[in-house]
Amino acid sequence: MSEQRRFGETDHEPLDQDDVLAQAIGQWRDELPSRDLWQGVAARIREHQQPVVATRRSFSFSPAALVLAASLLIAVTSGLTWLVARQPAGSNAAADGPVIQAYGLPEESTNGQIVQANFADAQFNAAVTDLEQILRDERDRLDPRTVLVIERNLKAIDDAIQEARMALNNDPANPYLNSHLADARRRKIDLLRHATTLASTGGD
Amino acid sequence: MLVDDVVLASQGDAAAFERVYQAHMPRIFNLARRMAGPDAAEELTQDVFVRAWQKLALFRGESSFATWLHRLAVNVIIERFRTLGTARERFLSDSETVLEMAPAVRTKQMDLSMDLQAAIAQLPHGARTVFVLHDVEGYRHEEIGDILGVSPGTSKSQLHRARQSLRTLLNKKTLTETGRPAARRPD
Repeated sequence: MSEQRRFGETDHEPLDQDDVLAQAIGQWRDELPSRDLWQGVAARIREHQQPVVATRRSFSFSPAALVLAASLLIAVTSGLTWLVARQPAGSNAAADGPVIQAYGLPEESTNGQIVQANFADAQFNAAVTDLEQILRDERDRLDPRTVLVIERNLKAIDDAIQEARMALNNDPANPYLNSHLADARRRKIDLLRHATTLASTGGD
Repeated sequence: MLVDDVVLASQGDAAAFERVYQAHMPRIFNLARRMAGPDAAEELTQDVFVRAWQKLALFRGESSFATWLHRLAVNVIIERFRTLGTARERFLSDSETVLEMAPAVRTKQMDLSMDLQAAIAQLPHGARTVFVLHDVEGYRHEEIGDILGVSPGTSKSQLHRARQSLRTLLNKKTLTETGRPAARRPD
């Protein structure tokens, strides 16, 4: 029986518990499928290896919002990266801190240790490649000014990723830098998803 | 943790998505069974999870994942109704005539021992949807109106007629089995 069923809590006309209908609903038991449905789902989602991205949706965001978001990202993350990178490696007080899981790394690989971000993360690279391809295919549907803003912001995020990588070369175990790199990658994926969604809706 | 699985699945992790599926499948399957009947429920359940996979990146955590998935499932099922039913009947309109074909005119052919599932199967898709969403799943008329694109008043009138039809059927069954009519609450 559904967890959402709640006689008397709906807005109007709750069923009386003595009502034959309420009694029938109360006896309406849950069942399970007669077969394993997952195999069919799995086969179909393999056709869509990357979730979403190109589905149509009445969604939009303005170029100004993109500019603002990217500017904030650049200002904050670049500043923090610079500050952290300036610290001598020996002064890294966070070495005993919590484990930082870099984007896409399998959980079991951390083994309780601080991990270094995987620059050649296959999942991340594959997702970026797919999304960039979709964006290339769909970019003609976007206003050229919007394309310009998107490309500018992607470059800003790429620069942030590159800065984080360079800083990590000097301090590979730094938890902030690893977290920052993972966050920048996530932001890149998010921006690409937004952009491809925007393109798929023709910039609606 | 399931929340983590949703996050992982939204990043393309199919194994995490399978865990999400296993956790939510029974509820979605029974929603589909009640709304669309047992014959269509399995295929609809698969459709819902394929759609969820495609839409996961759009889930922003503004509601619980279970709520988001439930609403998505309702939309998938209603889309199916519309695809199958528009040529035969209006799905739901402000006119109340859609329920004039409700079971009262069909009782001669019906098995008097039918259960609620069988009785509901006799309702038009729109009335069935309103009844299941309101009386079984606990949606409000405003929410149902929003989902179906009709006014809350239309939802209420459809619910009223659906209940009347179902009571008629269930009372017939009870009368046949016990010789006494079942308890009834006038709307």
